[in-house]
Amino acid sequence: LLLRLVERADVFIESSNPGVMVGLDLDYERLRKVNPRLVYVSITAFGAEGPKAHYADSELIVWAAAGPLALCRTPDALPVRISVPQAYLHAASDAACGALIALLARAETGFGQHVEASAQVSSTLCTLFAHLAEAVGHRDYSVGAASSSMHKGHSKLDLSGSGSRTEKTKWLARDGLVELHVGLGSAGGRFANALFAWLSEIGACPDEFISWDWVTLPQRILDGEITLDQVERARDLVGEVLARYTRDELVAVAQARGFMLAPLLTTADLLDSAQLNARGFFVPVDEAGRLRALSAPFRSCGADIANLRPAPAIGEHNAEVFAELGLSRAALQNLTERKIV
Amino acid sequence: MARSALQGLKVLDLAWVVAGPLVGRALADFGATVIRVESSKRVDTARVLGPFPNGEFDNQASVGFEGCNANKFGITLDLGRQEARGVVRDLAVWADVVIESFLPGQMARFELDYPRLKAISSRLIMLSSSLTGQTGPTAQLAGFGNIGAALSGLTQIVGREGEKPIGPYGPYTDYVAPRFGLLALLAALDRRRRTGEGCHLDISQVEGAVTFLAPQVLDYQANGRIAKCQGNRDDHFAPNGVFRTKEKDRWVAITARDDAEWHALAMLIGGPALVEDGRLADLASRKQREDELEVIIEAWTIHHDAFEVERLLQAAGVPAHIAATSADIIADPQLKAIGSFVRLPHPRFGETVFDAARTRLSETPARYERPAPTFGRDNEHVLHEILGYSQDRISALHDTGVLT
Repeated sequence: LLLRLVERADVFIESSNPGVMVGLDLDYERLRKVNPRLVYVSITAFGAEGPKAHYADSELIVWAAAGPLALCRTPDALPVRISVPQAYLHAASDAACGALIALLARAETGFGQHVEASAQVSSTLCTLFAHLAEAVGHRDYSVGAASSSMHKGHSKLDLSGSGSRTEKTKWLARDGLVELHVGLGSAGGRFANALFAWLSEIGACPDEFISWDWVTLPQRILDGEITLDQVERARDLVGEVLARYTRDELVAVAQARGFMLAPLLTTADLLDSAQLNARGFFVPVDEAGRLRALSAPFRSCGADIANLRPAPAIGEHNAEVFAELGLSRAALQNLTERKIV
Repeated sequence: MARSALQGLKVLDLAWVVAGPLVGRALADFGATVIRVESSKRVDTARVLGPFPNGEFDNQASVGFEGCNANKFGITLDLGRQEARGVVRDLAVWADVVIESFLPGQMARFELDYPRLKAISSRLIMLSSSLTGQTGPTAQLAGFGNIGAALSGLTQIVGREGEKPIGPYGPYTDYVAPRFGLLALLAALDRRRRTGEGCHLDISQVEGAVTFLAPQVLDYQANGRIAKCQGNRDDHFAPNGVFRTKEKDRWVAITARDDAEWHALAMLIGGPALVEDGRLADLASRKQREDELEVIIEAWTIHHDAFEVERLLQAAGVPAHIAATSADIIADPQLKAIGSFVRLPHPRFGETVFDAARTRLSETPARYERPAPTFGRDNEHVLHEILGYSQDRISALHDTGVLT
């Protein structure tokens, strides 16, 4: 039955452990003979072949192997993961992209192919390229937050826009936490300047920092004119001011002044998000009498996007699908009774 | 050699930093001709990100920029200039696809928005990538992906239980959004192939990231449970943790996915006595005594080398891996076997390195033909060979500072 479905399919997707599909005689080499136009997609933890192909895996283990775990540290240096699974989602997205690339290739060549994604490879992107530092000899690029800010020398300065290597980027406003990176250099400096312009306008900026241009600050630090301790003092001052305002007040100021600040939203906040709701991001779907809001991440002007349907109940579409294969109702009944379907 | 999957596809890439440029990078890997436009007057953030060869700052040697722009052609244009925008319009006529990631509204101010470009290039597909989308009350909010992570609920769920969240490493939504952008773009290309019609795609970094939290959003709807920090723990596994080893700042991650794996782990670290300890026999009891459980495990790992822990546990079928640093990843035999890293000669610093494509295709594999552009590297090629501009015209653009 499966091979008959394969004959008609464009895409075949599997995420079993390496070797399992060969054991079932359903591997790529077998199925391409049934349907040479088939795009066969495999998602694994580490890859179908190689020394770790048969490693026992979990989200945490893949995250550890891909690099983002060691980079993300609590103040006392414990590496921590994101508290919910992500690694296989990155792999799934890459696999979906690979499948579409293969379908576009098929439109030209007439043939399908094998598409593979591994969660380890996909998750290396979550290091923001820090995982490649050793390959070019950038020593200690990946230092954890606990020790990053006090080193000397240009190689230790965090010039990213996001503050990926800066310790103080989460602040307590009057009613909750906000994200704000007081950045240095050409990526983050102009936003820090906008922030300090506001601080100085409300009379909250000591003379010490008033003349600072955060864009050119890295050079002044290297020249020894300004110390990293001073930079940390400036950041502490930011924290003191932010604590006086509510998150909504701060977001309004940030948007008006052109610096980057956002509240740390919870999964409960998301459903009430004015932005997400204005864009129709949550789509109500009736799941066997239970109303659920599902995510709709694609917007297009000019192209219709398929309606969201709930995930199927077990066997919900058996009759429909097997009828398409030309199976009679009696035959399906028989297969169901024999517990094959 | 087989043809490339996307051979003949022409892409004008006006995007910058990480989330936008990664989309064009993937297209280039699979054979598209991608022309990346940037300005040396407002240096791309990825050029200052690093890492840098030998740790020495050089905005034409950033590995981050390399990773986002390898395989592309590169030209410099000062889009503040009317003449530069004329070049962009000519490139849009040449292109099948335009990618941009400016603050929403900027393309209209440049007079390069989708309706205008569609008027001169009717089958055009345009992809706009932004923090929260092209429309809605916060469309104008500027931000890197760390702001996106906060707005999507991700920052709130990284850290120890009960402590201040620390958030994921770096601009997390930059890692998520390009996957959605690429997916939408490829679907739009397939649609154009069938219908002949282009379209404008509006990708929000936050919306991609919230989609990566779909189970947690549903959990809140169904059960009223708000996702929160839980260190490295997991509701379904115990242990699920990261432990110290013999060497300073060397950590190993360990999971037991079921009772059998716990027994295998217990046998290694505590022998039959621990295996038979009824207080830890099943998941519920191990979750209840998780602090104690973790102390027992670390009391063992602290006397072992991290690689040895990984080896012993994996040999017993228990998920374990060192918390890999950059040095570990570059030396990782699995990533080597897959061919995860690409090294190409580079005219400026000998050799460059970047990640291979993150999806592997058996018949039309990715190809790596050129490192990311230095400033204006392909100005001549693009303006003369592709757009057919005369040498005089190119010189005039150059001399008046349009090509900077």
